[in-house]
Amino acid sequence: MPNTQHSPEIHDVVVIGSGAGGATVAHVLTRLGVRVTLLEAGPMLDPYREYKEHEWPYDYDHRGAEEGGVRYFGGGKPFGFFSTTSGGWELDGEPYTVAEDTNDFWWFRSRIVGGRTNHYGRMTFRFSDYDFKPYDRDGLGWNWPITYDDIAPYYDKAESFIGVVGSREGLRSAPDGVFHDPPPPKAHELLIQRASHRMGIPCIPNRRAVITRPINGRPACHYCGQCGRGCLTASNYSASQVQIFPALDTGRLELIDMAMARAITTDGSGRVTGVVYLDKRTREEREIRCRVLVVAASACESARLLLNSKTTEFPSGVGNSSGVVGRFLMDTVGFGLSGEVPALEGLPRYNSDGAGGAHLYMPWWGVDDQQALGFPRGYHVEIGGGYGMPGIGSFAGAARRGGYGVAIKERARRDYGTRISLSGRGEMIPNNFSYCEIDPTVVDRWGIPVLRFHFKWSDYELAQADHMRRTFAEMITLMGGDPGPPSRRDASGISIGGSIIHEVGTARMGDDPRASVLNGFCQAHDAKNLFVCDGAAFVSNPDKNPTLTINALAWRASEYLAEEMGRGNL
Amino acid sequence: MTGGVSRREVLRQLALAATAASTGAFNVEAAKVVHALAGEGRAQPGGYAPQALTMREFRTITRLAELIIPADAGGGSGVDAGAPEFIDLLCSQNAELADIFTGGLAWLDAAMGRREGATFVDTPPDRQTAMLDALVASERGGRARDVGPGVDFFGWIRRLTVDAYYTSPIGIRDVGYRGNASLRSFETPTAAVEHINRMADDLGLRSPW
Repeated sequence: MPNTQHSPEIHDVVVIGSGAGGATVAHVLTRLGVRVTLLEAGPMLDPYREYKEHEWPYDYDHRGAEEGGVRYFGGGKPFGFFSTTSGGWELDGEPYTVAEDTNDFWWFRSRIVGGRTNHYGRMTFRFSDYDFKPYDRDGLGWNWPITYDDIAPYYDKAESFIGVVGSREGLRSAPDGVFHDPPPPKAHELLIQRASHRMGIPCIPNRRAVITRPINGRPACHYCGQCGRGCLTASNYSASQVQIFPALDTGRLELIDMAMARAITTDGSGRVTGVVYLDKRTREEREIRCRVLVVAASACESARLLLNSKTTEFPSGVGNSSGVVGRFLMDTVGFGLSGEVPALEGLPRYNSDGAGGAHLYMPWWGVDDQQALGFPRGYHVEIGGGYGMPGIGSFAGAARRGGYGVAIKERARRDYGTRISLSGRGEMIPNNFSYCEIDPTVVDRWGIPVLRFHFKWSDYELAQADHMRRTFAEMITLMGGDPGPPSRRDASGISIGGSIIHEVGTARMGDDPRASVLNGFCQAHDAKNLFVCDGAAFVSNPDKNPTLTINALAWRASEYLAEEMGRGNL
Repeated sequence: MTGGVSRREVLRQLALAATAASTGAFNVEAAKVVHALAGEGRAQPGGYAPQALTMREFRTITRLAELIIPADAGGGSGVDAGAPEFIDLLCSQNAELADIFTGGLAWLDAAMGRREGATFVDTPPDRQTAMLDALVASERGGRARDVGPGVDFFGWIRRLTVDAYYTSPIGIRDVGYRGNASLRSFETPTAAVEHINRMADDLGLRSPW
């Protein structure tokens, strides 16, 4: 390419993306003695400068409404002013498009070292044995080329290193892992648990990537409940603090930030030779050469890079001889209901911040009843409530209902902490209508063609969301509450595709190179020195939040990669 | 804000010390110092020079903030919480918001002039609350049609006043938020658990244990 700056050096392993997948690869490989060069499309993260942990709204003249009160106009940071540095639903100069056949699709992208692990909910669930063989179970979708037993040792390694609270319960739908002691339930959670038990639904200690005893120099959680702001003591998992920074300390990791990958290069005979990227600071194009390339840019960004890498031997994109790159895009089914529960009025006030997020959750209870339930796959329930730190909008309801005057204050005192929320997170079955492709007419500010999304829920997901609606309404009613209208929904009550930020499946693994992109080690069928180590590799999207499985797959792929490199096979 | 800087520096050193020691025990005492530091530094009221609003407008929102969130035994007023300064600051940064407030305040004085022959602040308190009663009634679908154009503005000043109050130390104390602390362990107090048990029993939700 003209004006491209070439470097004569050939790097051992180049990794694109520093989120859960890329950071795990960087961590595991550097510990195995392999030198890694990591490209990140955003800047380096500085927790001490950027995190707002322990700050109060009154530390800022705008109180968290942000400059000019933009939050009142629907603007501002996507998860609130105090939330950690992450990314957004819209990025300046980096658009994506939604096809005309699609109602709506949202795509959250991070541009920061650590990627979306900076802000994610840290729910940390293993897939079950049956999740790897969904086709065998009900004839829908496809089986994974690996089994639970293949990945279990890597769940062990990932959990042990990251640190996860939880309890051993012996439930098939929620396999036990290596756990730190979980914090005890919060008061409102005990009420939810009573209601769920009445309905025959298990409600067990939550499994989140938070540590309650020190590991690897990381102090135990100090229960401020502010995981979403970023944790200065790294007592929760974020890829930057837990994996990238220690990997940098080994001296075997080189990090190049503000590097936006444009295209993968090949040698004309099916071997990947490197990647061309744009230095966002200078807008200079550079080429970096490597022996092995690991793409971990997030499911859709990885698909975009592969599709944009058209070479003589891969005219439809590197790794895409099967034609399935970008296909079978899945998100998680989301449905939420909340209600005020009068039984919580008058509860003695206490500090309910806890370990961040809920201390209990409900794993799927209907594995053996799917036929009778009328939808094929499961969901779990995440719960919310308690005395959150007051912020912008916290008492808008009390204000409206109180009118003005002391009535508002009385309402606020009475209603504070009485709202219970239930959020379903369910499995979507891959379908032919949901995929991403290169938009033929739009490029971003770096000149890189952008993604165009197609997305459609099927009746399976709509039936599941309807079950969530009935279940949650019954549960809130059992607690004496009045279930309000569903939150964040389209007309049917189900979440907008992409809005749960669990996109996976766009470069799936499989045994058959004609119908899959990767083998069970996340290695491209088409080019053995190319790996894709993020959610793109998923064959299905079980209700379990994807991050732990991204960690485990990447860990397994990294050990395989190092072994194959050692044998001279790459 | 000076408190913010020192707080941050203390927190940073705390984190470093905790990590270096590898004992895992977060320094709770030092953390308390941090939280105390964070609580200081709220600008003193009085002597504020409005940046976006005129003095007359500022006096009017001050009176409105006092009526929307009055002081009572549980806490101070919207004015004590800095609501007028908060509103003026945001208006100074946002022309759209400034138009909402200046337009709304102009409507309010004109409407009060028609009703009472005086501006809002120059009207006796019972006539001021009569206006707010009419606005609330109109908001709730009542028939007070002549105040219809003021309902949107009333919603705005109430929203910002309520937010200013509950994001201030007095409002946070009023509702009883006890968190944003550093603890060695988490526990739910027995009294809270007992309350839940009583309520659950009343609802017929038996304990499985």
